[in-house]
Amino acid sequence: MTSSQENEDDTLDELLKDKARIVELSDDEDEDDSMAGPPFPGNHLKQPRRKRKSKLQPQPQPQRKVLEIPPWIFDTNELFHNDVKTPSRHALDKTAAECLRFLTLLDTQGLPLNSHGLPHLRRKPHADFLRFFIGPLQTGFTAMDASRPWLFYWCIAGLSFLDQDVSEYKERLIETVRPLQNPAGGFGGGHGQYSHCACTYATVLALTAVGGLEVVDRKTMWQWLGTVKQDDGGFRMAVGAEEDIRGAYCAMTIITLLNLPLELPPDASARKAGLTSFTDKLGGIGGGPSNEVHGAYAFCALACLSILDAPHISIPKYLDIDALARWLASTQTTPEGGFAGRPNKLVDACYSHWVGACFALIEAALPGTKDGLWNKAALVRYLLTCGQQTGPQGGMRDKPSARPDGYHTCYSLSGLSAAQNHYWYDSESSTTDAGSGRLLAAFNWQAKRGTAEELEVLKVDEEDVVALIHPVFVLRLEAVEAARQTFEAGGL
Amino acid sequence: MGKHDDDPAWSDITPLPTSEGGPNPLAAIAYTEEYEDTMSYLRAVMASNGFSPRVLDLTEDLIDMNPAHYTVWLYRAQCLFALNSDLHVELERLNETALAHQKNYQIWHHRNLIVDKLDKCEGEQGFVQRMFVKDAKNYHVWCYRQWLVKRFGLWEKGELDFTEEMLREDIRNNSAWNHWWFVVNGREAEGVAGVTDPDSRAREINFTKDAIAKAPQNQSPWNYLRGIARKSGISLAHLKSFAEQHASLDRPGAVKSSFALDLLADILGKRRVATSKLVGRMICWR
Repeated sequence: MTSSQENEDDTLDELLKDKARIVELSDDEDEDDSMAGPPFPGNHLKQPRRKRKSKLQPQPQPQRKVLEIPPWIFDTNELFHNDVKTPSRHALDKTAAECLRFLTLLDTQGLPLNSHGLPHLRRKPHADFLRFFIGPLQTGFTAMDASRPWLFYWCIAGLSFLDQDVSEYKERLIETVRPLQNPAGGFGGGHGQYSHCACTYATVLALTAVGGLEVVDRKTMWQWLGTVKQDDGGFRMAVGAEEDIRGAYCAMTIITLLNLPLELPPDASARKAGLTSFTDKLGGIGGGPSNEVHGAYAFCALACLSILDAPHISIPKYLDIDALARWLASTQTTPEGGFAGRPNKLVDACYSHWVGACFALIEAALPGTKDGLWNKAALVRYLLTCGQQTGPQGGMRDKPSARPDGYHTCYSLSGLSAAQNHYWYDSESSTTDAGSGRLLAAFNWQAKRGTAEELEVLKVDEEDVVALIHPVFVLRLEAVEAARQTFEAGGL
Repeated sequence: MGKHDDDPAWSDITPLPTSEGGPNPLAAIAYTEEYEDTMSYLRAVMASNGFSPRVLDLTEDLIDMNPAHYTVWLYRAQCLFALNSDLHVELERLNETALAHQKNYQIWHHRNLIVDKLDKCEGEQGFVQRMFVKDAKNYHVWCYRQWLVKRFGLWEKGELDFTEEMLREDIRNNSAWNHWWFVVNGREAEGVAGVTDPDSRAREINFTKDAIAKAPQNQSPWNYLRGIARKSGISLAHLKSFAEQHASLDRPGAVKSSFALDLLADILGKRRVATSKLVGRMICWR
């Protein structure tokens, strides 16, 4: 550790362990700190401090640096009774420590800053990173040989979230996936690999993003899905493979986008049994019955239900929304402001999507809910300050100590969009197509950009705002609409 | 030339090389010659659904090169069963692979298939424990352990002792709390009551309160407490005085747990307050 870094750590420790009294905080951080009475939280921090810069990142900044630290960053656990250190506590503390210098803007990593002092969203480097990630890959990527469809989806969808034109990938993607499509239907991870729900889901989404769904053999796809469908209403991931809630979400996505005949009516008791058994004692959702609750599975369940019917009908029917909302909200971490996948686990940028994107679905099911379930400004701050890789290559990452990858880039962008934009369900539209029997609920979502005032509060400039992303299918809305139109007639 | 091309054991098979997917495929991986060669032979033999000892060798090689290859695992399982192979030997092999690849979950479905077929679980609890030494919260391993308990009726064969030990090592291990709940309540369908039984409930509440006393700022036992209340139908209000031991709305300096505050907020009728928002708004003194 360089000595300048040590100085910065000491400074941080001083800032956060200072025994100042902290009064009730409002949302407005710019409150007048000259008021009489108990020292306002910002006061003792606003003393001029000389920050020594690392030799590697010379920054032409003024000598005095004022840190305006949002209230949620104060390390909550320091405010409470100092209880026993356990491996979890050590891990949580270590992560908080690695993030604090970035969250507080003590270290802005040489990144260009927006008008609010937060790093800009690095649109071009992240786009370059995604183009690289879908390009020819080195031998080290052999471990991804069964997951190439994910690479197609993360990169193409991610680029589209950054408003890049992805039509250039259409022909190449169509040719790339031909050998992945099995004669008996569905897509595997590569040539000669068994068809798999996740691989098929990712392939179908990537094709939807570029408007290339014509390459899919819908008839054999339907037949293959029949072989992985289970009596309890769930779906195995592949013939002979495991069954969990991901299978249901993947399968329903495929069926709905491609308008395949639905064999079970949405209310089939089998399906109900399948979904309710995944919820735990408190309304959270795990991979299977009695399994530990996990953010990723929560999204799969909520999105799946939002395909089956209007969210305000299907979600409350099978899940305890109050409990689920509480559980989801509780996964937002302090001080980082991102989300963790499970209680007492670490923040990870990918949960910005798996948990962050749940709120639009949940809110559609909770009557009269407005903002307040989660802290959007905190998530945005985490992603922009801690989630972005510096340097020309770009990309977004789990946390500062992790390497960037396509998965985290895609889902970080989705999380940003969830925080920055508005999504709501149009309950006037019909939920079933009378002609083809297609479930239409998932196509009835509306979206709009956050207002200028809202973006102010989030401390982002216009260029830091990510595109509107469909809450259920996690693609640009126009791509989803195009798919809906393409297979409007249905049939096989 | 790959190693299989010269191997007499493979002389009857024409390998199926990888179909690239056009002149300019996306996400094209630069496989090693060995990987490409081995996959080409596997493709060929899968096309005729052949099961034989050489296939076991082939799949073993591929698993070494890419343990995440789900097709290879699924095909290997079929082959093992078709050949009536010694599944104990397979378990030994699996142990090594599992320990070397913590994040891999194909391994656990495969183990599931093997142990299910063996219809015996000797040594499984012990092996799972070895996995937890490396990562005490490995999601798929905990799922596997639940399956073991249910499949082989291990409810009273040391599961609570094991879980209690995990909690002693880390009272914040949410996976362990989840397993504890499962062991206590998982047999309701068979008529064995969990916390719906008053004695069991009392024991569980005391256990949880002790855990909270050790580390009040720990979400897991507070969730557990709520779960007990919900499951046994008792009102959260019963927990009010306990919650007040760890947080008080009148004496902010006495706040020892944001989860206690959260619980008080619910008891007092303010619903849907996100913990993070609450913490940002509360008054506290140091």
